[in-house]
Amino acid sequence: MQRLRAVFEKCGRAKYISHLDLNRCMLRTFRRSKLPIWYTEGFNPHPYYSFPLALSLGFESSCEIIDFNITDDNMTHEEIQNRLNEVMPEGMRIVSISEQVRKITAITKAEYSFSLVSEDSTEIYDAVMELLAEPEILVEKRTKKGVKTIDISGDVEIVSCELTSGSVDMVIRLPAGTQTNYNPMLFIDALKKVSAIPFETAKIRRIGIFCGDGKRFH
Amino acid sequence: MQENIKTKIEKHLLEVQKPSRYIGGEVGSIMKDKSKVDVRFAFCFPDTYDIGMSHLGMKILYSLTNQRENYWCERCFAPSEDFEKIMRENDIPLYALESLDPVKNFDFIGFTLQYELCYTNILNMLDLAGIPILAKQRTEKLTQIVVAGGPCVCNPEPLADFFDIFIIGEGEEVNLELIDLYLEMKKQGANRREFLRRASQIEGIYVPEFYGPVYNPNGTILRIETEKGVPETVRKRIIDDMDSVYYPENFVVPFTEIVHDRASVEVLRGCIRGCRFCQAGFIYRPFREKSVEKIYKQTKNLCENTGYDEVSLISLSTSDHSDIDPMLNKLIDYTVDEKINLSLPSLRVDNFSESLVEKIKKVRKSGLTFAPEAGTQRLRDVINKNVTEEEIMNACRVAFEGGYTSVKLYFMMGLPTETDEDIVGIAELAQRIVDLFYSMENRPKGKSVQVSVSCATFVPKPFTPFQFEPQDTRAEIDRKQKLLLSSVKSKKIRVSYHDSNISMLEAVLAKGDRRLCKVIYRAWEMGCKFDSWSEYFDFEKWLEAFEECGVNPEFYANRRIDYDEILPWDILDYLVDKKFFIRENMTAHKEKTTPNCRERCSGCGVNKKVGRECFCKD
Repeated sequence: MQRLRAVFEKCGRAKYISHLDLNRCMLRTFRRSKLPIWYTEGFNPHPYYSFPLALSLGFESSCEIIDFNITDDNMTHEEIQNRLNEVMPEGMRIVSISEQVRKITAITKAEYSFSLVSEDSTEIYDAVMELLAEPEILVEKRTKKGVKTIDISGDVEIVSCELTSGSVDMVIRLPAGTQTNYNPMLFIDALKKVSAIPFETAKIRRIGIFCGDGKRFH
Repeated sequence: MQENIKTKIEKHLLEVQKPSRYIGGEVGSIMKDKSKVDVRFAFCFPDTYDIGMSHLGMKILYSLTNQRENYWCERCFAPSEDFEKIMRENDIPLYALESLDPVKNFDFIGFTLQYELCYTNILNMLDLAGIPILAKQRTEKLTQIVVAGGPCVCNPEPLADFFDIFIIGEGEEVNLELIDLYLEMKKQGANRREFLRRASQIEGIYVPEFYGPVYNPNGTILRIETEKGVPETVRKRIIDDMDSVYYPENFVVPFTEIVHDRASVEVLRGCIRGCRFCQAGFIYRPFREKSVEKIYKQTKNLCENTGYDEVSLISLSTSDHSDIDPMLNKLIDYTVDEKINLSLPSLRVDNFSESLVEKIKKVRKSGLTFAPEAGTQRLRDVINKNVTEEEIMNACRVAFEGGYTSVKLYFMMGLPTETDEDIVGIAELAQRIVDLFYSMENRPKGKSVQVSVSCATFVPKPFTPFQFEPQDTRAEIDRKQKLLLSSVKSKKIRVSYHDSNISMLEAVLAKGDRRLCKVIYRAWEMGCKFDSWSEYFDFEKWLEAFEECGVNPEFYANRRIDYDEILPWDILDYLVDKKFFIRENMTAHKEKTTPNCRERCSGCGVNKKVGRECFCKD
């Protein structure tokens, strides 16, 4: 049996597929591909696959991960990739397939890119800088136990922040994985509170998943 | 234009529930190059995506039309309230899901009429599309032809003002004939009226503007006037051979969960039973089956192409297929191997055998549903259900022995000749099933039984022997519902029933004439939509609309119709003779049954019109 990890894109209209729907969607994709995917052996056998990180509805991604097992040891990664890509929905494409090396608990951070769109982008840029200079960035996070206020100032890692004529284009890293998961909307909502002028958030995309040692998970 | 709509939609899509319903791009959806397409058809379902995407007819006609390279059929559904608000606020017109182009630019806007309570949604969708709601206000040019098909067009009169064309019967052939004619006449530069004249000559095409009823002072119809040269009655179209008729090899597979989220394979059309309340049992005659081989191939094709892990067999009564045993054997072998769930709705109690329960046990673990329809044998004979209490009890025994502990029973209330004894009989029958369970030595151990009684209100429908019957008044139905509730003594029996107001409106819209067009229009103007959804249904508004338009709903719902009265749907010929319905109505009142078509031909007239016997004589 091959224990495999696929990295796939979820772009364009596919960003409107919710995480719950993605589950069903991949089940059908595997069935259409007729790949010898491994089924669980319980009372109600079902194909085994899992997603280590959920993606918010409306976000694009170039690095979604799905783990699954293939019972045929002789099948090449390339063949598996091709057969899946033939039957994937529009906007979704397998980028690479490899063996499952690291455990999913190794994931600690995820990187997101997005644009803050406004005619007055300089103002937005200033607001971003102002926010980052604050000693603490308090946001309200919904958890299973209710809403709690947390300080994310130590957790937001700015990778880049560029001012263009109509937008501020940012790349940030946030905690991700089995322990803590911060959504980039937390940061954006905090910015909305301090920004004097309104802006729209566009093109939110997950572009990287990282481990504690700073290396890419995928 | 396209970019425009897509951008506008995407700005707001994350503000609404289940956004993937509004953006297309599903696996199996068919994209074409607009520049190579001659005719564009928007197939509209007048309810939300979740419901409409479950409809088999749409899947068939969508794929069938798209088989033709130069025709492009796209899907369109009613937006939910949250998205409709966004559409109206941002000038997003109703658009089709494949191209995201506005449907107002399409050649055909086709609605399927599956139930009467969706009529206001049709008006709302036309309005959202920016298409004039009244047919007579539409352009003289040859474009924007608004058509409808489906079971409710068997009495299309309440919608006559809103449609250019009704397509009567099965659409697999006539739809393409209609589009072919359109293309031919478009090339010739014909106008709308010229096209409608020619279209009215096609069998199965009913153009309402060429027909006009004249009423008696008492409100009944005196005669129906027709324009010169159009057929006096329009005969429904049927497909001759179920094995050679087109069936899709692929479905559009939605991302979001829909009501029936599975592959579905039609196994037969029509019904041999002749239950006197059942419209489907008459309007889909004659009975025609697909061969086991065909059913198997289509099941396999669909499962492979869609990736669905569940398949459902579709028909009015699957166990009436003459090869049911070999069919199930073959399908179960395939589905078990491929780890696919097979679901078998529409089984009857009278041929619910141990071998059948053994088979379905392999595929289904939830409860079983039976439809005795009435609580006493006398009333079951009146409605010609042809099911005995012994058969019901036997089916339940077999089910309990097979390990099932819950059964659901469908009944109707307000049936012709019904007395309080029949209502109490429903509770008593349910109680005897509970008692049966506890009397069985080999019942499932350590479990309690659950009998669910679901009680609908009888709605008299066109093209049935009960089309002449009055519906019980709402007060009477409410009283009977209370009687039923107080007759149930066991906690093992759960009773649910329908809102009697909804059933009354359904009866009015089912049996109405053209005077209802303005009522529907007014109700829609007052904000009525999604009338089949209890959270939206506003009966007060409907009553107000009736009042304002001077139309008495009781005239349609609660009046007994004379056998010789001209009915609004008499212009349509569904192959079954009106004389047969009259004969069956009289037999019902004599509390006598009529055998099923396979046992003995009851002379409904279909065989004569089709030109062959429905069943081979042995």
